[in-house]
Amino acid sequence: MIELKNLSRKYGDFTAVENLNLFVPRGEIFGFIGPNGAGKTTTIKMMGGIISPTSGSIHICDINMEEKPEKAKMKIGFIPDRPYLYEKLTGMEFLKFINDLYSVDGNSFYKNAEEKLAMFSLSDWAGELIESYSHGMKQRLIFAAALLHNPELIIVDEPLVGLDPEGIKMVKDLFINLAKQGVSIFMSTHTLKIAEDVCHRVGIINKGNLIAVGTIDELKQKTNTEKADLEEAFLTITR
Amino acid sequence: MKNLITLLKPRILSVKNTKDSLGKFCFLTFFGLLLWAGIFAISLKVLSYFKSIEQLGDMLAFKLLSMILITLFSLMLFSSIITALSKLFLSRDLSLLSSMPVSSYKIYFTRWIESTIDSAWMVIIYTLPVFISYGIIFKTGPMFYISSCLSIIFLTSIASSISAILVLLAVNAIPANRLKNIFIFLGISLFMVLFIALRILRPERLVDPEVFATTLVYIKSLRTPASPFLPSTWTFDCMQLFLTGSNIEGLFHLALSFSCAGSLVFLSLLLADAIYFKGLSKADTANLRFIRYKEFNSRLFGFLDRPIRAIVIKEIKTFFRDQTQWSQIFLLGALILIYIYNFSVLPLDKAPIKTVYLQNILSFLNIGLASFVLTAISARFAYPSVSIEREAFWLIKSSPVSKKAFLWIKFTIYFIPLLILTEVLIISTNILLNVSTFMMVLSIVTILFIVPGVVSMGIGLGAAYPDFKAENPVQTVTSFGGFLFMVLCAVFIGAVIILESGPVYNIFMADFYNRPLTTYDWLWTTGSFLVAMIISILAIILPMRFGIKRLSNILT
Repeated sequence: MIELKNLSRKYGDFTAVENLNLFVPRGEIFGFIGPNGAGKTTTIKMMGGIISPTSGSIHICDINMEEKPEKAKMKIGFIPDRPYLYEKLTGMEFLKFINDLYSVDGNSFYKNAEEKLAMFSLSDWAGELIESYSHGMKQRLIFAAALLHNPELIIVDEPLVGLDPEGIKMVKDLFINLAKQGVSIFMSTHTLKIAEDVCHRVGIINKGNLIAVGTIDELKQKTNTEKADLEEAFLTITR
Repeated sequence: MKNLITLLKPRILSVKNTKDSLGKFCFLTFFGLLLWAGIFAISLKVLSYFKSIEQLGDMLAFKLLSMILITLFSLMLFSSIITALSKLFLSRDLSLLSSMPVSSYKIYFTRWIESTIDSAWMVIIYTLPVFISYGIIFKTGPMFYISSCLSIIFLTSIASSISAILVLLAVNAIPANRLKNIFIFLGISLFMVLFIALRILRPERLVDPEVFATTLVYIKSLRTPASPFLPSTWTFDCMQLFLTGSNIEGLFHLALSFSCAGSLVFLSLLLADAIYFKGLSKADTANLRFIRYKEFNSRLFGFLDRPIRAIVIKEIKTFFRDQTQWSQIFLLGALILIYIYNFSVLPLDKAPIKTVYLQNILSFLNIGLASFVLTAISARFAYPSVSIEREAFWLIKSSPVSKKAFLWIKFTIYFIPLLILTEVLIISTNILLNVSTFMMVLSIVTILFIVPGVVSMGIGLGAAYPDFKAENPVQTVTSFGGFLFMVLCAVFIGAVIILESGPVYNIFMADFYNRPLTTYDWLWTTGSFLVAMIISILAIILPMRFGIKRLSNILT
């Protein structure tokens, strides 16, 4: 589903991500954690095709991102941490814009959009300008937009920022259900409790290097913190 | 094609969904039309005058047209460089679009269309009355208007494509983390082009036939065509031929413009397909430091209260560390040099009016001119200074500093350098004009009163109509508030100049003819200066009050 091979990204002399190798299979929820400035967002941006790697390759559903970026992006639902939205568009207009960009069937758009808006409790706000949305509502709209074309892979950077407890539960359930349907989810997060709750496997990145990968139990074993939580394991690994 | 339309939709829908009040709309339309009509009337008058001069008239009209087109092309070229850079590489929605399954050249192309329209629409609208005047004076048929419209569209497209190609190459050549430094390069380029354009045009020679050895040389100079490789020359040739009825030949030059425009668009698309994404990818970096900044000596402001000192230091630091400001300073330097240069080449000794009289009239008018330069600079720096806080304005709102203190700090920061700048401008030009002591003192004092008023209007109205979400806060001056600022400044400066003009004329003439001032003269003088002073004081207080009140009510 996702295959990263020797992925590196440099900014001048600074190496943000170094020789990252990773495979995320179909239907897996993969948590990507690490301290601030570890290289999480850079990795996610490369996977989303927003920036190009300095070296290495990214395959999304066996499609090489560098060779066929449009085809690869069709498979992805991308949710950035600080999404930009067109403030002067209504929620529905924004979804139509995304729908058209992904060339999703226009006939079923309104039904599909209303379904997604209802899923994220935004139905009443569909006709309002995005500038009047709260931060959490904007985040929900981004989720709705990302799911509009039924992606095979969801890449999400800090999924729960700005969401209320109900929203957090909704997203957690959504991820679990999507994974059951075969959708892979690659999410970066600082909320280790969420990673512990929903992720099948977790990767820890520090200073641009992937220093540990495994299930939560495997990581705990690795750090001899079986009885503690992921936070303890994370701190032990990254120290 | 479908993708292209989709990519343009957010912009179209945003414009459609932006609902300005009817009052604002009427205000802007009224002044827009007024300006358009003014340009139209002046163009008609000038061209009618030219037409009335036998033999030379047409030559002068065509020379003017050539100058207008070269200036238009230079303006569009550089306006589109800056717009293309921000549209193609700095827009905040680019991350969103890059994550979509759309080819990068399609994103480029839609951005190019937006950039072309944004950079050229105003220039085109306000040069249209000039071209229409040519059509009326030369009594042409509809073909002239159609061909003119087409050739201007092609010229715009050529300017925008050249700019986009330059930007594409520059962004790929210069390390992306120094992207903003390109602005410095642009600033210097603009300075050079303005200077070169001025030298190529040599406008002062045209009004001074005496510098030519014979009439024949003067006529030859008027007839000298601009470089045949300049796109503006093809536009000029096309218009000139249609004006003189040579439509078939005109079509050739129109086709020349079209083929160049088409080729450049195609070339830029090919280039974009190859390198646009690389440039975008490079642009997506943290801005590493270009220059190691020295620790700011905050003890300089040790006499201020700590919260106020914090804002002052923050303002100064952010201003000088924002490299986009530097290019503007270069540009400012260029404009001031050209301004002073123009005074140094004035052929005062050849004027039919007595030199001393003319020097002092010019000096008085120079107060108005320098104030308008001040208004333009304030529009660029003082007006957007509140909007420039952007989303970080919550820090100010939540800090223990009142809005009043915040705005007065802003006022002081911009007032001091602008006062120095305008005084330098007025003193240096007065020295070049060799004016009397009275005019020198009057100019200095009047500027001392005008500067705080203009700065206050900039800060106050900028605070009253802020746009914290603007992609480029500097562009907020093109909004309603910015327009209101410019109109009020023009009214304020005009009022002060008019109030002073009568008494100044009386004093000057009394001095000139060595006769004493009458009691009536004294009363008139005192009254006029007093009213001018009151207006100046009100211009400081009222806009700031208005800004503080409105800003306190605005939730961000």
